[in-house]
This record gives sequence, structure tokens and C-alpha cells, in this order.
Amino acid sequence: MKLPAVLRLSPRWTPYVLISPFLVLFGVFGVFPLLFSLYLAFQSWEPTAGMGAMRYVGLENFAFSLDDEWFWKSLKNTGWLAVASGVPQHLVAIPLAVFIHTSFKHLRNGVVGAYFLPYITSTVAIAIMFSSLFSTDFGLINVGLGALSQVPGLGWLVPAQPIDWLGQPENIKPAIAIIVWWRFVGFNVVLYLAALQTIPKDIYEAATMDGAGRLQQFFYITLPSLRPMIFFGVTLSVIGGLQIFEEPFILTGGRGGSDQAGMTTAIYLYRMAFDFNDFGAASAMSWLLFILVALLTWLTNLAFRPRKGSV
Amino acid sequence: MGERTPWCSLVWRCAALALCGLVMTSAQAQQTLVVAAFPAVDEIVKAAIPAWKKLHPTVEIKVVSRQFTDHHTAMTTALSTSFYLPDVMALEVGYVGRFAQGGGLDDLSRAPYDILRFQSRWVPYALQQATNRKGAVVAAPTDIGPGTLLYRIDVLGKAGVGEAELTQSWEGYVAAGAKIKAATGSYLMAHARDMKDIIIRTGIQPGEGLYFDNQSNVLVTSPRFVRAFELARKVRQGKLDARVGAWSNEWSEGFKRGTIATQLTGAWLAGHMNNWLAPNTKGLWRAAQLPEGAFAAYGGTFFAIPRGTPVANKPLAWQFIQLMTLDRGVQLSAFKSQDAFPALLETYDDPFFELPIEFLGGQKARVGWRDAARRITAVSVHKQDAFADEVINTELDKVLDRGKDIATALADAQRLLQKRAHR
Amino acid sequence: MMNNDRLAPWAAYTIVGIGSLIMLAPFYFMFVFATHSRTEIFSLPPPLWFGDDLVANLKILTERIPFWRNLGWSVYVAVLSTALTLLFCSMGGYAFALFEFRYKNALFGLVMATMLLPTFMNMIPTFMIMDLLGWIDQPRALYIPGAASAFGIFLMRQFVITSIPKDLIEAARMDGCSELGIYWRIVLPLLKPALGTLGLITFIASWNNFIGPLIVMRSPENYTLPLALRSLQSPVDTEWGALMTGSAIATIPLIILFMLSSRQLISGLTAGAVK
Repeated sequence: MKLPAVLRLSPRWTPYVLISPFLVLFGVFGVFPLLFSLYLAFQSWEPTAGMGAMRYVGLENFAFSLDDEWFWKSLKNTGWLAVASGVPQHLVAIPLAVFIHTSFKHLRNGVVGAYFLPYITSTVAIAIMFSSLFSTDFGLINVGLGALSQVPGLGWLVPAQPIDWLGQPENIKPAIAIIVWWRFVGFNVVLYLAALQTIPKDIYEAATMDGAGRLQQFFYITLPSLRPMIFFGVTLSVIGGLQIFEEPFILTGGRGGSDQAGMTTAIYLYRMAFDFNDFGAASAMSWLLFILVALLTWLTNLAFRPRKGSV
Repeated sequence: MGERTPWCSLVWRCAALALCGLVMTSAQAQQTLVVAAFPAVDEIVKAAIPAWKKLHPTVEIKVVSRQFTDHHTAMTTALSTSFYLPDVMALEVGYVGRFAQGGGLDDLSRAPYDILRFQSRWVPYALQQATNRKGAVVAAPTDIGPGTLLYRIDVLGKAGVGEAELTQSWEGYVAAGAKIKAATGSYLMAHARDMKDIIIRTGIQPGEGLYFDNQSNVLVTSPRFVRAFELARKVRQGKLDARVGAWSNEWSEGFKRGTIATQLTGAWLAGHMNNWLAPNTKGLWRAAQLPEGAFAAYGGTFFAIPRGTPVANKPLAWQFIQLMTLDRGVQLSAFKSQDAFPALLETYDDPFFELPIEFLGGQKARVGWRDAARRITAVSVHKQDAFADEVINTELDKVLDRGKDIATALADAQRLLQKRAHR
Repeated sequence: MMNNDRLAPWAAYTIVGIGSLIMLAPFYFMFVFATHSRTEIFSLPPPLWFGDDLVANLKILTERIPFWRNLGWSVYVAVLSTALTLLFCSMGGYAFALFEFRYKNALFGLVMATMLLPTFMNMIPTFMIMDLLGWIDQPRALYIPGAASAFGIFLMRQFVITSIPKDLIEAARMDGCSELGIYWRIVLPLLKPALGTLGLITFIASWNNFIGPLIVMRSPENYTLPLALRSLQSPVDTEWGALMTGSAIATIPLIILFMLSSRQLISGLTAGAVK
């Protein structure tokens, strides 16, 4: 049915109409909040006093944050977690992807599905699950480690006492890192598998004919070809690692754990705003962290950027 | 459309009249008071509704109940914009400080509330607890948590330790713990932190809060902190604590199996133990006063009126609060059904206090708790109390687990807290 | 010369197999624990096979929190979120791809830039905006903002550029089809695969969204599942059995969805990565 001429859009106006719902939402919920948070970073606000209680304080919130021991502690925690959960993700995902790529033809979808499943499930459900697995006296992980310590050859690897995962600051971080690793290793396997599929088989055949062994082929053909994907994956891991919030939040009951060992900057932000009622400082910290993320992303870019003319 | 028949139009007119009448009467009848609370205060409020109805038959009470932390977060949110403000909000003592400084709650000491005329009717410390630095009273006390020492009489018996030995002094308490450990293998307490928690509450001077005084000076290097840390360290060095966190599975197991011999806590824990924590240990526990004549509060609930509540609702909100906090019947029934220890002094002559408590082997513990309640001293609250709590706990952990020097730990805490004291 | 050929197959199978087990084990135990009571879960040895407390756990679960209501909210929010996102992003992606208009490149750059923004940047400002709008504790605070998904626009634009020839649009215009008609009757059907992928991704993201509801929801009756589960965990008396049951139920729809559409989902997510 044709609309009467007056209601029809000319091609000139169409894009604006098509774009407007998105732009309106984007403006209201994407751009405006950001600007507001920037504004808030320069205010002092005690929420229970109501909206009118904001006071301009200039750079005081930034100065406070940079001087705040807990802020730096949270940055260290975040950095540690990002590296400890991120590096193994890729170290394990690449060989796994290679194995799956070369050896699994029929079961591939099932296997890939199994590895991808942790990524799509709710972090909350997962973290709750791991809380029970990490229980000191009754958790399966300690039970498993206990069983391992009985095995003659491997016994020395494993501590004899049950590990207090959630109570000791030294142990909370590895516990969180394990959960994050578990969640993302499959996602990276999928990424690398997709990339592996683009490497032409002839190169490998030629190399085999030249006498190159599998290990050599891996290091001289596979890895360099994967470079763009490694770049992409590592960038995602860096950005994601610096934002870790849900896993430690659930594992430590929203507090960050003993000695704030599990308190990432994202959690500290949340606590500053909603536990300690200091919205100004929380906003200032989020901007500080953002600058850090942007910096690190740029550095990753420099390190891994696919250079022109390489494989 | 055609003409309506005469009877049809009559029906329409009657219906319209009836509707009008309904609207008018309901507008007169229906006023709702929204009360925001958390478990088990919500049950207490609901139980008081019949009494309320007798006084105000046309006013409905709507109870909005949320889980403990979520409730307080929701109240912060509501106060921040005045959207979805309840008419009455329940606040736990640990949160009163945060809300007291902001100015979002009505000052009940002013007209038309004039709460100070009721001051003598409550336990002395309770009203003070809800008074901020400017002298405004932001909430009315409804229940309190008198501190008590719960101990396993059978475990103590095996070690040959008597109650007096346990409660004579704090050093004596620790020494008794060593005996208990040696004889039975049971721990004196769940966590050395519990020791620190109670001792920092002893010897508080007027005008002082727990961590800050009324001028926001930081107090964490004062003698009570040093003593608290030293005694906690002694407990840990003697391996007298089970190193389990409160409310964890290991904690409740400790009670069930008798590996935790004592617990410094609020009187209300006995009820929890009876109901679900460790019902199998019925009859094996007794309650004593806190060692060395310490009197402290572990918990307590208050009711407040937000400043942003519609003015028309405030008189009724105040009536409701008076019912909950000043009515003997309501206070007693909350005590009997929910184990909410009354803040109202005139309930203290009720025979209920003299009843033996089965879980405590027939001990008439409420008499002792009643005594304690009268002697608790108020502790001023400060906006940064929650943060200070965590900082001190962190430093204590470092002292206990990594052998950090106490003076350094407290100095570090002092430094951290000083930066935030005035925010 | 290293010849690993004879080692490789069974080594590969074992390693990948162990890896799969590690990936799947927590799920297995989640479902097993869902059928046990909390004392059984926290006992030595822990249960390794299914128990018989599922019904009891369900009872506790539904008594403690309005679980089915929360489930309903999760579904409602996820469906609306997906529908709105698909609509707005397909419209926007089509516009960015095949039209020329003022500030087009600058706008697109801005949108893409926000995609790099970490989620924590939104936490506080979102709260403030919702507070000001009066949307705190309302489901619309969850599904409306997400419809402006930068990733969605990116995906749609990419797909339109690669799969919809401009001539087709021109031809339709010359035939007299209205602009909106072109969008609705020509572009949209051609976008089906991309819509499918984006729909899946959006649904999953909305279902699992925890931070969003954490910031804006206040009443237990309005919680979505992740928040409801966490509120079960918070109180002093954690009912682990019920918690496991709730977690398992929260996971099942996604697992089913995933099993039905894994290939599409995976290929869609990696589409932008492999250049």
C-alpha cells in the first residue's frame, strides 16, 4: 500500500529518520551520562542529602584519588588479575586451538561448544558455583588437590593442608584468576580456531616436504600467521582484564576480600559510590582508570599491530 | 448512533453516581503509610498492624521489605532524589551514622516531634546513638542488641574452667582459652577479630565515637586500640581462634561440633542458634556478661522519617513510630516472637524476662541482658565508620597473619583514615 | 628432526579431552549440587552424583525470593531488549551503510569510540540518570538504554555493506517503493542472518547482565535472575542447595539456546575478528 505523497520520505531525510531512535538513546544513555560523570568528578556529593547538595570542589577528587592508598592497591590488584588471568588464556588457547584444528574433524562442533559454554553463561551463577568449589574444608577443588597429593609422582606439587582460598589474601587473587581464565579460554580458542582456518594448507605441506618438523612449523608458520588474531585477542583481554568486576564481587561478597586482595578498581569504584557514599571521588576514579585503559590499549596496539609486509 | 432508551440512560446515571460515591468514600478512607524495612523488622511491623488499626482504622500500612544490605542501599538511593521515599524507614545501627550526617532524615528533637521528652523511657544509650554531631536526633530506637558472652558449659567443664574465671578480666579470658584448648582442643573463639571488636568498644569517652571523635579526629592509636590488637594477637599466637568468618559454613559447623567454645555477640544469637545455627547443642550453652565489666551493643534497629516525605504523611508516620517504640504491648510482642530486645524501659518489669530459656539450659539470661542494656554507653557515629571498620580489620589481619608490628599497623590506619575523615 | 606424528593424535585427544572436562565440570557439579541439600553439599566427601532434594530446594528457592517472577523479568527484559536493539540497530546500520548525510563519519566514529569504553564508566552516571528520570527500580531502565548498542550498529553496518547491493535499493526506489518500505520489505529480510546473530548476542548479554540491575534495581520483586541469585547468597543464612538450583535454572535456557545456535553465534562473534 502506498503512503500518500506527503508522508513519504525522500531519500534525503530517510537516514536521519532511521538513525534518530538510535541517536536519541545513544545521546541520552551513552553520551550524556559520560559528560555528567565528568561533571560529577569535580563535585562533592553526599547522596543522602538529596540532589541539591552538590558542591564544586575543582580537582580535589582527583587529588584525593591519586593520594588514596586503596586506589593504588586496587590498581595493583587489577593489573595482577588482568595479567594472571589473561596470559594463561592465550598460552593455553593457542595450542588447544591447534590441537583441535589438526586432530578433530567430526567432533569439532561439540568440542568447540564445550569450550565456549563458560563464556556465555551468567557470571553470577558461575561465581556462586566456584564459591562452593573453593570452600576450604568441603570444596571440590581442595578435595581434588588432596587426592592429587596422595599420588606418588605429583604429591610434591600440592600443599598438604587444604588451601584457604577465600580467606587468605594471597589465595583470593589466584582463585579469581582461575575463574576468569576458565571463562575466557574457550572464547579465545574459538577466535584462534577461526584464524587457523584461514591459513592455507599448502604452506604446511611445503614445509613438511622441506623437512620441517611439527614444532618448527608451529613456531615459524602458525604463530606468525596468528599474529593479527593474537593482537585482537590480547587487546580484548587487556580491556576486559582491567574491568574485572563480577567474579571478585560475587566471590568476596561485594567487599573485595581480606586486605582488599580481590578488590579491583571497578569494585572499588562501586564501593566508593554505593558503600562509602562518595560519588564525586568515584567518578574521578573512573576517569582516571579510563585514561589508564586507553593508554594500555594504545600500547598493546603499538606492540602487536600487524606490520605491513609481514606474513 | 441512535437514541438511548429511557431505562438505559437511568442505568448509566446510577452507575455514574455509584462510581462517584465509591471514589469519594475511598478517597476519604484510604491513606497508606509506607514503611521500608528488612527481615525480621518487617515481621515485627506486620505484627503491629492490628494495634495500629485500633488507633487509625482508615490508614493502611504497606511494608516494603528488602534484604538487609539492599534495603539500606535502596534507602540511600531514595534519599538521593526523593523518589520512592517511604514514610518510615527502619535503619540498623551500623547504618545510622551514614544517614545521620547527611541531613536527609527529619530531626526528631524538634517540633512537632519533640522526641527528647521521651528520652527517659528508653535505655539511656539508644537515643544518643541516633544523635548526630549537630545534636539532631535522626531516629527513634526500637530494639537493641545487648552484648553477651555465650559459652559452652560442657566444654568449659572438661577444662575445669568456671564462668568467673572466664569473665574476670580480658587477660583472664585469654588464659582460660589456653586451658580450654589444652584440655579439649576446642577454640576459645571463632576469630581473633571478635576480640578486637569488643575491646575497642571499651573505655570510650563522651564525645568520642569508635574511630573518630566529634571533631573528626582519628582515634585509632589510642590505648584501647593498642590493647585490642595486643590481645587479639595473643589469641592468635596461642592458636585460640578457629579463624572462621562469622556466618560461614565453617562457623556454624564450629558451633554444631563444639569446636568453638565461646562467642562474644548480641543476645539475639542465642535465638539463631536455637532455630537453625546449632539446634543440636540445646542446653549446652550459657550466657554471661561480657568480661571485665564491658557493656556494648551488638546491633539495634531504629525508625526514621525522611525529610522528603510528603508533609501530610509525617504526623501519621510519627504516630506509627511512637506505636512501635513506645507501646509496651508492641515492644513485648516483638521480643517474644522475633527475639527483638526492647529499647523501652517500661517493658523491663514484664515476667517474660524471668522465664528460663531452654536453649541456655533453663538459664534466666534475659535478666542479665536487661542489666547490661541499661549500662551500655552510647558511641557517636561518623560517616566514615564503615570504611574505618575495614581499614582496622585489614591492619589486624596483617598483624595476625604476617606479624606486622602493632604500632606501625595502627599508624598506617591512622594515616589512611586521616585523609578521609573530613570527606 | 623432530617427528611428533605418532605422538600427536592421542596426545591431542587427551589434552583437548581433559580441557573439555575442565570446562564442563563446574556445570556438571552445578546440576548435581542443585539436587542436594546444603548440608550434603558441604560435607566430606562432596556429592558426585545426583541426589533427591531438588523439589525441596525448589521450595526453599521460591519461598526465599520471588524466583519465578524474577525469571519472568529476565525473559521480559531480554526479549524487549533484543527486539528494540534489532530494530534500532538495523535501522541505524542501514543508514550508516547506504546513505550519505551530514556528520556521518564523525558520528560513526563517536559511536565506535564508545564501544571501547569500559563498562565501569557507565556505572555511576547510569545511576544518576536513572535517578533523575525516576526510572530506578523499573525494568525499562534495563532494556531501553541497551538498544543503542554500538556493537549492534557496527555489525549491522558491516553486514549491509557486504551483503546488500546498492543497485537493489535504487531499483526499488525507481519502482516507486517508499523509503521505509524499502527498509521493511527489502533490507530487513536480507539482514536475517545478521539479525539472528545480533539477536542471540543481545539476548545472552541481557540475560546475564548483572551490573546493570545491580545499579538500578531496588525491589526484590523486580530483580532479574543474576541479582535474585546474589540476594539469596547475601543473607547470613545462605541456602546453598536452593542457590545451586536457582543457578542451574538460570543457566539452562542459555545452554539450550546455545546448543540450537552455536554455529551461528560463534561465527557471528568472530566475524569482525578475522579480516
